[in-house]
Amino acid sequence: MAVQPRVPMREQNPAVRITNFMSVPLGYSSEEAVTEAKRCLQCKVPMCETGCPVRMSIKDIIKLIADEEFEKAFYLSKADNAVPAMTGRVCPQEDQCEGKCVLDKTGQPINIGKLFAFVADWARKKDILEQIPEESNGKKVAIVGAGPAGITCSVDLRKLGYEVTVFEALHMAGGVLQYGIPAFRLPRDVVDYELSYLEKIGVDIQLNKVVGQNVDFEVLKKEYDAIYLATGAGAPRFLNCEGEKLKGVYSANEFLIRVNLMKAYKFPDWDTPIICGDKVGVIGCGNVAMDAARCAKRLGAKEVSILYRRTKQCAPARAEEIHHAEEEGIIFKEMISPCRIFGNEDGWVTGIEMVKTEFKGTDKSGRPRPVNVEGSEFILEMDTIINALGTTPNRLFLSNVPELDTYSWGGIKVDDNYMSNIPGVFAGGDALSGGSTVIDAMGNGRDAAEAIDKYLNNP
Amino acid sequence: MKHTITRKEDLNAVDYVIDVVAPEVAKRFRPGNFAVLITVKNGERIPMSIERAEGDTITMYIKRLGKTSRELDTWNVGDALYKVIGPMGTPPPLKKYGTVVFASDLVCGHAENNAMCRELGKIMGNHIISIQSFPDKSLIYPEKELAKSVSDEFILCTEDGSVGRKGHYLDIMQELLEERRIDQVFAGGGIPPLQKLSELTKKYNVPVYTTVRQIMVDATGMCGSCRVFIDGEQKLACIDGPMFDGHKVDWEAAISRLAMFKNKEAVAMECYNEKMKEVV
Ligand SMILES: Cc1cc2nc3c(=O)[nH]c(=O)nc-3n(C[C@H](O)[C@H](O)[C@H](O)COP(=O)(O)OP(=O)(O)OC[C@H]3O[C@@H](n4cnc5c(N)ncnc54)[C@H](O)[C@@H]3O)c2cc1C
Ligand SMILES: Cc1cc2nc3c(=O)[nH]c(=O)nc-3n(C[C@H](O)[C@H](O)[C@H](O)COP(=O)(O)OP(=O)(O)OC[C@H]3O[C@@H](n4cnc5c(N)ncnc54)[C@H](O)[C@@H]3O)c2cc1C
Ligand code: FES
Repeated sequence: MAVQPRVPMREQNPAVRITNFMSVPLGYSSEEAVTEAKRCLQCKVPMCETGCPVRMSIKDIIKLIADEEFEKAFYLSKADNAVPAMTGRVCPQEDQCEGKCVLDKTGQPINIGKLFAFVADWARKKDILEQIPEESNGKKVAIVGAGPAGITCSVDLRKLGYEVTVFEALHMAGGVLQYGIPAFRLPRDVVDYELSYLEKIGVDIQLNKVVGQNVDFEVLKKEYDAIYLATGAGAPRFLNCEGEKLKGVYSANEFLIRVNLMKAYKFPDWDTPIICGDKVGVIGCGNVAMDAARCAKRLGAKEVSILYRRTKQCAPARAEEIHHAEEEGIIFKEMISPCRIFGNEDGWVTGIEMVKTEFKGTDKSGRPRPVNVEGSEFILEMDTIINALGTTPNRLFLSNVPELDTYSWGGIKVDDNYMSNIPGVFAGGDALSGGSTVIDAMGNGRDAAEAIDKYLNNP
Repeated sequence: MKHTITRKEDLNAVDYVIDVVAPEVAKRFRPGNFAVLITVKNGERIPMSIERAEGDTITMYIKRLGKTSRELDTWNVGDALYKVIGPMGTPPPLKKYGTVVFASDLVCGHAENNAMCRELGKIMGNHIISIQSFPDKSLIYPEKELAKSVSDEFILCTEDGSVGRKGHYLDIMQELLEERRIDQVFAGGGIPPLQKLSELTKKYNVPVYTTVRQIMVDATGMCGSCRVFIDGEQKLACIDGPMFDGHKVDWEAAISRLAMFKNKEAVAMECYNEKMKEVV
């Protein structure tokens, strides 16, 4: 039997979308969603579900969509995932659910991400919310950090009856979903809606509370029965090369925080400015690099290049982001690595010296290992350089809690139950891994909620 | 939490003082900390030194500079700021040094000058000299906002000599360093004079902590915008500072980076002026 092709996703035209920050995919209509869901073979053993870190009931949800039972589909997706409209948009589905779909072999796996986003968007438009009993079991848990890990843990614990308080350093909740990922990938009304769910079920979110700095960790330890640390990996990593002090050199975090959290693309209606030149070089090829490059394009840069020491085939970015970036005219300069950054007398960037790389063997991650080709240095003229080399665990919290066991690179050490060396203090998400994915952080949050529940019931 | 303004007074033609309700910031404040203000929902996160914390309120000295500081100046007692976050930063150790000098010449410096002298003076064995330097008579602060009452020796100076001693704090420091034993210097204010002060104190082998102002965005250590270079090593002013050993700071980089957004700030000011014209 011939497989029906995927129902294509309508998208904003690349030439238009590089002038705005509105969503690139336009979403499925009900008819399109039903048609796409009907392609599902309803496998006896749904391999897609084995690929999902939060163990969503993918097969049953798709069946409900195919039967036009959208409300039931929504409830079922919410049962395992507090924020399906967001994960539907940002998960690396090609490595997870869709990558395990039987139809993947035909090159046309079920569009699971977009279907889940459809269901959640449908519920948002209808203002449908899952009801959670408000009763408290009398125990209190503090969660530090309102990113995907903290959010998920808070929801699961609240559902079990715990009184949950989430402390967030910034003036908005969401973690990377708020300050990192741009609105053209994750519209802010979607973020607001999914986060408002937390308050509706009685999770207390305390913004502007930097634990370790303006909230005493010792006090938290006394006042709460357990603590979950989900502080993420927000600290930028730099090249530590010559020229990093120059004006026009950004960490991807600064660039993205200015744009996404502080709305610099609306300057001067919003107060935070940003300076983006004509020729922008972004170092790295992960999701962060794609976001920075695509933001730069939208800020009016004429030429934006990704500078990457491998090839885009082995890049960590989601396939969809690379595809969208290419459509938007982002140039991929592969197999090159940065050496130093140049500037003019006024201290502004004028260029970057790169060296060619070649592959020799494989590294720990199993990817080909790039090494510099001696003597192959060359210069690229640039007026803006954005460093998207990855991040390290948030230092501010760690430096205030020296008794917490960490790895030398800053990751928090935990046991099999996500508990740190401090009894009753658990941790998860990027603060453990140093940086992974939204859904992995959420999976961590779920597992930790389970572990915390067990701990508080049989201390 | 409503961050209501409970006092607002002019210090001179360019500076004003405000007291704002921020109990949690007040409770944990240590001299040398700063707060982050977001005045309106669309506003930016701007760092402000805290002069003192009393009860539920914190006091800040603010210079009318660009859009945000001028817009805030149009507000009155009873109005509330959108967000006040803090205390932020890691102050230098407040301990027994011996003879300590705190010098300041611009808004930023004066808040810390008062705060630090007040605290250092309480520690046995510290002899406190405060130097406050202003351009001229018209720009000095009212007496009650000066560090006179919290220092053992207080030197007020103006660059044109219209009030107090004539000269900048650098001139006074030069004399002090030549004449007496100074154990520790602290300073805040304009960055170029801080660079000169660092060179000067180095010559006399006297340690100095300087407030290195840098453009901040999140002020929680996540963006790297406020990076300063200390002996070749990268530090973040918002969490490691903003006070650093002046002898080790890469001042050229600090001065250059602080000017990065100058053109944009002018645009913001222009738009604000246009808007105000419509209001009038
Ligand atoms: C630009 C960018 C794009 C990305 N794109 C994708 C993508 O497309 N798909 C994907 O799956 N993953 C993506 N990722 C990775 C993903 O976002 C992270 O793995 C995930 O957000 C980690 O979640 P977390 O909850 O551990 O931490 P975070 O999301 O980092 O949240 C941590 C929160 O803790 C707060 N915090 C830190 N310290 C304190 C403290 N002391 N007190 C109080 N609060 C504190 C922070 O302010 C922050 O809000 C991207 C990351 C970035 C930066
Ligand atoms: C640790 C620290 C303590 C400070 N304490 C005080 C204080 O006590 N009183 C006071 O008046 N000012 C203080 N400042 C400076 C204050 O943050 C700026 O004056 C304010 O941001 C100006 O905003 P604006 O919109 O009015 O002016 P803008 O036109 O935006 O800027 C005017 C100048 O202020 C500086 N500046 C602008 N934005 C920032 C930013 N986000 N972070 C840091 N500096 C910026 C730049 O030098 C700029 O040229 C401090 C700065 C730092 C870093
Ligand atoms: S202001 Fe962002 S790291 Fe200091």
